[in-house]
This record gives sequence, structure tokens and C-alpha cells, in this order.
Amino acid sequence: MRVDGYAPIEDYAVIGDGRTIALVAGDGAIDWLCLPNFDSPSAFAAILDSARGGSFTLQPAVPFQSTRRYLPQTNVLETTFTTEQGSVRVVDAMTLPNDRLDPMRELVRSIEGISGRVAMRWCCKPRFDYGGAEPRCEWRYGIPVAVAGGDAIAIASWDAGTPVWRDARVEAEVEIVAGARALLALTSAYAEPLIFPGRSDVLARLEMTIAFWKAWSAAHAYDGPWADLVSRSALALKLMIFAPSGASVAAPTTSLPEEIGGQRNWDYRFCWIRDSNFMIDTLLQLGCDEEARSLFWWFMQATARTVPQLHVLYRLDGGIGPAEREIDLSGYRASSPVRVGNGAVEQTQLDIYGALLETAWLYSEGHHALDADTGSVLARIADHVCDIWRQPDSGIWEVRNGPFHFTHSKVMCWVALDRAVRLADRKEMPARHAVRWRAEAEAVRAFVEQHCWSDELVSYTRTAGSRDVDASLLMLPIIGYGDVGGDRIRGTIDAVNRLLRHGDVVYRYHADDGVAGGEGCFLNCSFWLVSALARGGRVDEATALMERLVARANDVGLFSEEIDPRSGAFLGNFPQALVHLALIDAAFALSNGGAS
Amino acid sequence: MIASALAGGFIGTLALATIIKAAAEAGVTRLDVALLLGTAVTDNRRKARALGYIFHFVLGIVFAEAYAQFFAIVGHASWRLGALLGALHALFTATVLVSVLLPVVHPRMATADTAANDITLIEPPGFLMLNYGRSTFLVMLAAHIVYGALVGLIVHL
Repeated sequence: MRVDGYAPIEDYAVIGDGRTIALVAGDGAIDWLCLPNFDSPSAFAAILDSARGGSFTLQPAVPFQSTRRYLPQTNVLETTFTTEQGSVRVVDAMTLPNDRLDPMRELVRSIEGISGRVAMRWCCKPRFDYGGAEPRCEWRYGIPVAVAGGDAIAIASWDAGTPVWRDARVEAEVEIVAGARALLALTSAYAEPLIFPGRSDVLARLEMTIAFWKAWSAAHAYDGPWADLVSRSALALKLMIFAPSGASVAAPTTSLPEEIGGQRNWDYRFCWIRDSNFMIDTLLQLGCDEEARSLFWWFMQATARTVPQLHVLYRLDGGIGPAEREIDLSGYRASSPVRVGNGAVEQTQLDIYGALLETAWLYSEGHHALDADTGSVLARIADHVCDIWRQPDSGIWEVRNGPFHFTHSKVMCWVALDRAVRLADRKEMPARHAVRWRAEAEAVRAFVEQHCWSDELVSYTRTAGSRDVDASLLMLPIIGYGDVGGDRIRGTIDAVNRLLRHGDVVYRYHADDGVAGGEGCFLNCSFWLVSALARGGRVDEATALMERLVARANDVGLFSEEIDPRSGAFLGNFPQALVHLALIDAAFALSNGGAS
Repeated sequence: MIASALAGGFIGTLALATIIKAAAEAGVTRLDVALLLGTAVTDNRRKARALGYIFHFVLGIVFAEAYAQFFAIVGHASWRLGALLGALHALFTATVLVSVLLPVVHPRMATADTAANDITLIEPPGFLMLNYGRSTFLVMLAAHIVYGALVGLIVHL
């Protein structure tokens, strides 16, 4: 199953607590965990360096097979190990705090014997700071503790064998008989003393965590087609919202490669403005008003410092940066470099202005009135768009050989000005410059129609004057640009279908982007094709494609950023919010019969 | 003298708490005085932090009054003498007050008698508070020297 110590990306499931997440492989290894937050350095990073990254394994000591699922309507994972000697169920969860003396973060692994007697082995090998900090391995009154700088973790165990430190890893073996229950609790602290939990407190938090997720799911139920996957996507998205600020990460991992052995390895543990309008739209459709409000206000506060200019991405605390750097890990299956930080923060990307104004429009459409200050800020941004839309940029795909006049970017500038006019018409923004916004929106549209259309391709083009298509053009009917039933939109959908689709999935483009190496097909683009087809009235075609795409989810209903169209292997960071947002949008579009 | 000791205690504790917090954020130590003090009276994290800060400032002012009494007895107050008292204060805190006495009276702190408990416990500081990081005592020493110097300076004014 593992290749050179690496599990396939699709072999992972995710557990989390709204502050950080852990990736759990089908063989019971936790190979990725950053502490205390998503964007903190890792304590376990075996997924990026199987030798030096650190991991927390728990599996039978004899040959086994495993199956798994999430407990219904929760983010609590259940893995069942079957051996010739019997079977064991492991329940993994990151528990939620209950306002008592809770550990700063807590990862619980409950081991229950189902049948027979199964020898289980667990081994925790923490390596702080992306494998760069060898921990001091100590004991605190019988509890193994690993410490490095301001980080510390403790492994409390009950009926799970006698732990011993050996070569900077703590491990134990225990025989689990039918009906028996052992318990492991990894607790962590940063810049404060560790908390050593009691067994009953751990079990109470586990039960409370299960109850919370069930209640959250019940409150945001969706009963349309593909309900299971929409529900799983919603739960995964909720895990990717950083609860302390309301920001959402694009994905909770860094540098999972877009090509095995390649160098397209990026850090996605930041909040992109671009994703905001998808996220707000989805949250509102799912009835997550609280999360939508929190995310909208986070965006307004994060962007306040630089208005009217916006940055492409922000840290989860609303700050800017850090700069991109390479770290000393070998990379997933030798896919190096491993990067921390994201250089796209320095780029000019015009589409983000449209994303922010669309976010404000959707927020307002969701019956949340904008206050006067917010309206004034948005008006300044709209004025800024009037000044800059003629500039080239790096575009939605953050190319590193630009800038170019990307069609998608121009259309999003049109979206920015169109939504500004609409909000001004509703008196949610000052209207004194609305005449200019309207005129410039028309100028953008004229530019796109004149310079970004190819009679030869019968399609809008990737950039002004080019002869390439780009999957981002599928956003045009989704965002409401042009006549969804007209020749130009239909021709563009057909061109993407013809030139970028490979089987069920879609490449984002075939043009040079300034980065060496190849990549897989982008799953968000594939779901955008479903949405575009549905909105174009081609519901049967869209439904058939949707059925084939959802079958590509892994065994617990999750998707990474990309997929190898030949092997079906996942590529890129995992799980990726934009893919799950696109999946939900496609499901809603089809459940509405193609209506927006 | 009482008023100046009160002011010195408040300002000194502010500086001390800031130095310790800055060191914690820099990854030098995991010492969290507010959490340690506050969890002695409540198991609610948020309340513990708030109460702990109040306790810490009260203790800081009480110790400043003790410093002022010492200055009165020796008939001399200066930032240098305050810094010396601060260093002794740090040594006393790290070896006796927090390392030995606090675990004895703290109802939620693990001790040498702790075994397979079923109650949640907070990590004890250990000798010279080294459980919270190898540089913790140095941080404590620097913070208390600054505290003592500020108390001595303000009482002297």
C-alpha cells in the first residue's frame, strides 16, 4: 500500500477541531499535524518526509486489513482493523473544548476490541518545527512528554500497554480482547504548561465532540441529490474554518505535489480572497449564517489595512505573509521543494476585487445589511477597480511568467463594478460614483467581447488576443457574466470540454505558466464544468458528469486539489476547500434544475 | 512610601508579566503565571487566566510593599538594591514558592504522588521551573531583576 513509506494521498481522512487538523491514513498512521494551529509548524509531517517528519501510528502488530468511515454526520473517524486473530475498532477525533481545564489541543484515539484478541502497537514520534527540532523526551510522573522550545506534547494512555521512550519515540504494545477498551490522548501545549487529562474527562469530551458534530450537521441538513457527499463536504469545510478568526484555509496542508516528483508544491494554509465568494455563497445556502457572518467580517477587517488595494491571501489571523521559503524536508515521494509561506502574496491578481464585491453582494443578498462604513470601503475598492482594470495581472492561477491580460480577471473586474452598482442601487453603498462604475463596467465588457473572443476557437480565450482556452472561463456563466444560453457562453463551455477535458476531469490550461513540471486535472474545474453545463440548460449531460466525478471521491468522501486522469490518484493539497465548494455548487445547480 | 510601593509594584509586575509572556511567545519558556495561579481556584480556563492575572498583580504589589519595608529598614532605596532583591526573589520563587509550595497547595497540579489519576491535572513546574523549558529560570531571573529595579527606582523617587 505504501510506496517508500508514503501512503497514497487518497488514503487519508481528516479530523480536526476548527483550529488544526490531523491526516489519518488507512493504516492508522497520523502523518500530518500542525500545532497549535493550521499554519503552525508541524509536530507530525511524515507525509512530507517519512524518515524525519514524525508520525503517530496505531495499528495491529500482525497483518491486517482496514475499513473506515466517519461516524454518521460527524468529523470523528472510525477505522476497523481485521486480522486473523480478531478485529479492533479505533475511533479518532480531535476533541472540542468544554470550558473546563481542557488541554490546549487534544487528539483522542479510542481502541475497542470487537472480536478475538488482537495485539495492537502504537508509536508516537513527534518532530517539532517541520522535523527540524529533535524533542527532549521526558516523563512527568509516569506520562511521556516531548518538549522542544515552546512546544510540548504528552501522551496519556489508559489500558494501552506500558509506554517506553526509545530513540526519541514513545511506543507500547497491548493485546485488545473483545469488549475491552483502551484509550490514548495526545495533548499539546504552546507557551503554557501541559494539561494531563483524566480518563473520564477525555471520554466526556469525545462524546461531547460527537454530539456537537451531529447537532451541527442536523442544523445544516441538505436533502437534495448527492446528499451524503454534500454533507461530507460541508463537514470538511467546517473543519477548514479557523474558529478563532472565522477565516478559512484553502487546504490544511503544504506541498502535497501536483505531480509526483515535481516541484509544484505550495503552501495552502492561508485564506484566499478568491475563495471567499464561493465560501460565503455555500455557507449561506447551507444555512450557516453564523459562519458566513464571521467570514465576511474577517475579510473586511483583514483587508482594512490595505484598502483600496487588496492582497491575494492573508494569514488566518488577518496578517500578511509570511514570505515563501523552502524547508529541509524531502517531500512527498521525493517531490521537493517543500515550501512554507506562499509567494503569490506578492502578486497582482485583479480577480480578487470581483471576489470581494461578489462576497459583499452575496452577504447582502443573504439578508445581512451592510453598514455605512463597510459600504464606504467597498466604494473605494470599486473606484480603485476603475483605475486598475486595464493593467495585466497574474490571474486566478497565479502564473509566475506573467503578467497577462487574463479574460477571467477582466470579467471579475466587471463583476466588481456590476455588484458595486447593484449595491449602490440598493443604497448599501454610496452612489456618488455609480455613474463611473457603470461606464467602466461597460468598458470592461467591451474589452472582453472585442479582445478576449476567438472566432476560430468559438470561445472566449485565456488571455486577450491568445488562442488558448482556460478552465477559469467556466466561471463566466457561474458568476453571471454574459448570456448563459447564448452562443458565446455555450461555445466557451464546448471549447473547454473539447480542449481541456480528459475523460471525466478537466485540465485548467495547457499553456506555459512559468513553473517547470506537469500537473494533474483540477477537480474544482471539473465540478465547474458540471455547474456551467447545468446553468446552460444541459442538465442531463451535467448530471452524468457529476455522477462520474463523485465516484472519484476517496472512501470517506474527500477530494484533493487534483487528480491524475490516468490512474485516478489524488494529487495536490488535501482536502481542498475549493473542490468541495465547487462540488456543493454543482449539486445545488443540478438540484435547482440548472437555475443559479 | 506605601503609595510609591504600590505604584512600583504595579509597574514592576506589568514589566515582569510582559517579559515572561514575550519569552513564552518566542518559544523560550512555557511558563504561564496567570494560568498557574488561576487554576488554583477554578478549572475554567478563561476564568483562570483572568483571575490569575489579578492574583499576579496583587502578589506583585504585596511583594513591592515588602521591598519597601526592607528599603526603610536599611535606610536606602535604589534601582540597584531593588534589582538585587529581585534576583533573590526569583531564586526563592523558582526553588521554593512555585517549585515546592505551589504543587502542595494547588488542587489541580500533578505531584510526585500522582499516579493513574482520573482527574485532569496541570503540568508541575519542577526544580527551577525547568519543566517549562531549560531557559525558564533565566527568564524568571531577568524578569524579577527588572521588577525589583523598577520598584527600587520608584520608591527612591
